[in-house]
Amino acid sequence: MRRLFLIAVPYIWLLALFLVPFAIVLKIALSDIALAIPPYTPTLDLSEGWAGIRAFLSGLDFENFVFLTTDDLYWRAYLSSLKIAAVATVITLLIGYPIAYAMARAAPEWRPTLLMLVILPFWTSFLIRVYSWMGILSSEGVLNQFLMALGLIDTPLQILSTNTAVYIGIVYTYLPFMILPIYATLEKMDDSLLEAAEDLGCSRLEAFWLVTIPLSKGGIIAGCFLVFIPTIGEFVIPSLLGGSDTLMIGKVLWEEFFSNRDWPVASAVAIILLMILIVPIVLFQRNEQKAREAEG
Amino acid sequence: MSQTVFAPWENPEEEPLIRFRNVTKRFGDFTAIDDLTLDIYTREFFALLGPSGCGKTTMMRMLAGFEAPSDGTILLSGQDIAPIPPNRRAVNMMFQSYALFPHLSVWENIAFGLKRESQDREAIAARVEEMLRLTRLTKFAKRKPHQISGGQRQRVALARSLAKAPKLLLLDEPLGALDKKLREQTQFELMDIQEKTGTTFVIVTHDQEEAMTVASRVAVMDEGKLIQVATPDVIYEAPSSVYVADFIGDVNIVEGRGTREGERIRLDWAEGQPPIWGTPRGALSTDRAVYFAIRPEKVSISKEKPADRRNMLEGEVVDIAYLGNISTYHVQLANGQMMKAQTANTRRLANRDITWEDRVWLSFTETAGILLEH
Repeated sequence: MRRLFLIAVPYIWLLALFLVPFAIVLKIALSDIALAIPPYTPTLDLSEGWAGIRAFLSGLDFENFVFLTTDDLYWRAYLSSLKIAAVATVITLLIGYPIAYAMARAAPEWRPTLLMLVILPFWTSFLIRVYSWMGILSSEGVLNQFLMALGLIDTPLQILSTNTAVYIGIVYTYLPFMILPIYATLEKMDDSLLEAAEDLGCSRLEAFWLVTIPLSKGGIIAGCFLVFIPTIGEFVIPSLLGGSDTLMIGKVLWEEFFSNRDWPVASAVAIILLMILIVPIVLFQRNEQKAREAEG
Repeated sequence: MSQTVFAPWENPEEEPLIRFRNVTKRFGDFTAIDDLTLDIYTREFFALLGPSGCGKTTMMRMLAGFEAPSDGTILLSGQDIAPIPPNRRAVNMMFQSYALFPHLSVWENIAFGLKRESQDREAIAARVEEMLRLTRLTKFAKRKPHQISGGQRQRVALARSLAKAPKLLLLDEPLGALDKKLREQTQFELMDIQEKTGTTFVIVTHDQEEAMTVASRVAVMDEGKLIQVATPDVIYEAPSSVYVADFIGDVNIVEGRGTREGERIRLDWAEGQPPIWGTPRGALSTDRAVYFAIRPEKVSISKEKPADRRNMLEGEVVDIAYLGNISTYHVQLANGQMMKAQTANTRRLANRDITWEDRVWLSFTETAGILLEH
């Protein structure tokens, strides 16, 4: 009985907060747009009994999914999101790995402080931090004024409202998610492994490549997924820092929902996005499980 | 046919493989190694023995190249090794933690060092197979380190460090992680492998039994200095100081004033106790405090007063440590001094005639003990 209860808790949680909302979104995706409240039809009317349910079911179709394939805006937005997420993940890795490495090599008494510095930005609202990037990157912003004061440039650089600004925003926001798992694996690593590699004839660089990198693989993979997965659906960063040509599916979804008030198409976009995300999420779970097995 | 004794340190023409010359190593204010001079010869199995923090690991790390001496030079085959980085030294090390690469199989671990210097796949494979056979690991070649037992991991670490056929193999507490039975068995395997490969071994250990078993010579260290360097039997039978006598094995130590009387030394050590007669080794300054050290197994214990011994002490049994094969009797003398006597239990326990609170006589010959000045 106790065991049943313990198992039931996570399942009820999953049911209430994932499966039920998912069913509602799926239902809306199969509906048609309507000038009504809520802005779609059909709605389920249980007062009419069986006939009501039958009328409700007959009103559902895959029209919106078919529509997504006819307009190339959507699949271009999906592809563009994947590309931006992939590039941003690589940049985050290239910046995050050296930071994590330096933290793991730092004197033990410094590590909690460094760890704190990485986590500290989370204490400020995410939205405020993105807005402050607007202040830094805009034409009259801090960065341009600084560069012009130094005499490096004559006219302000157009960074805000470009993909560059989006990359900066994503890398900045998700950097801790890359650093922390890599740091965790590097910190656990036994220093005598590097000495053993050197003793067996490796240069420092070879030892790094042949021992440190393979042993931090678990952290690299975890960090990449933690950056890649949320970045695909990212909405705030591209809409605030990106320009009109920044195409990301999160932004498209938002516009469908709030500008066009086309809930059914927006829901269909969300369902497809979920389908795309399931692949990396499953891979991530498998990586985590493998890491746990290797440790156990 | 007489077997020649392996003792290159007694041959003045023999060129040492390793020479420490006035080596000092300081870490900040702390002096880990203090002006140390030592020669180690080819094919030796040399043990550095001492309590933790005595500097033995620092010596090994200087040989491997992970630490550089603050002063003095270390020569390997006559060449100063200070400027040579660890990856270019003909020295390999077996780490205390084994430091096996967890992401590589046993086979790849052993091949790791070989791959760094040679591209010839067949030569590498042949050498790895040879090492696997030597350490009886052929069956486990494909396993990862976490899939084998502690004893097998120890052998992988040994095979990996031997694979490049180093001039010198360093072993840092190589058997520390094994249980007692396996450790004893592995000690003989190590000696066997050392003999087969003809490699010079330097082993660091805090386990005196281990050092005594495997080593051709033992260096007893304390606080960055060598206290005594000698063969195990000399270390045990003729320690140069009270520190060594006390560190190696069990010992009774009596402090007193020595007076030379012909061949012998008479040690007056307590009011109301008969003097102890001993034989000095070499010159011993008289009329000053000296220490008499005697191993418990060289002290006989009996209920009747023995007739023919020069040294006899009377006391009372206060404790008996029964270890199965031997028993150690703790005997309190009239002046409160404790003495230990050890006997082999050749008879069954029930037939033992000495028990707690018995009056007993301890006796030993004039040559059984040793007189030490410090």
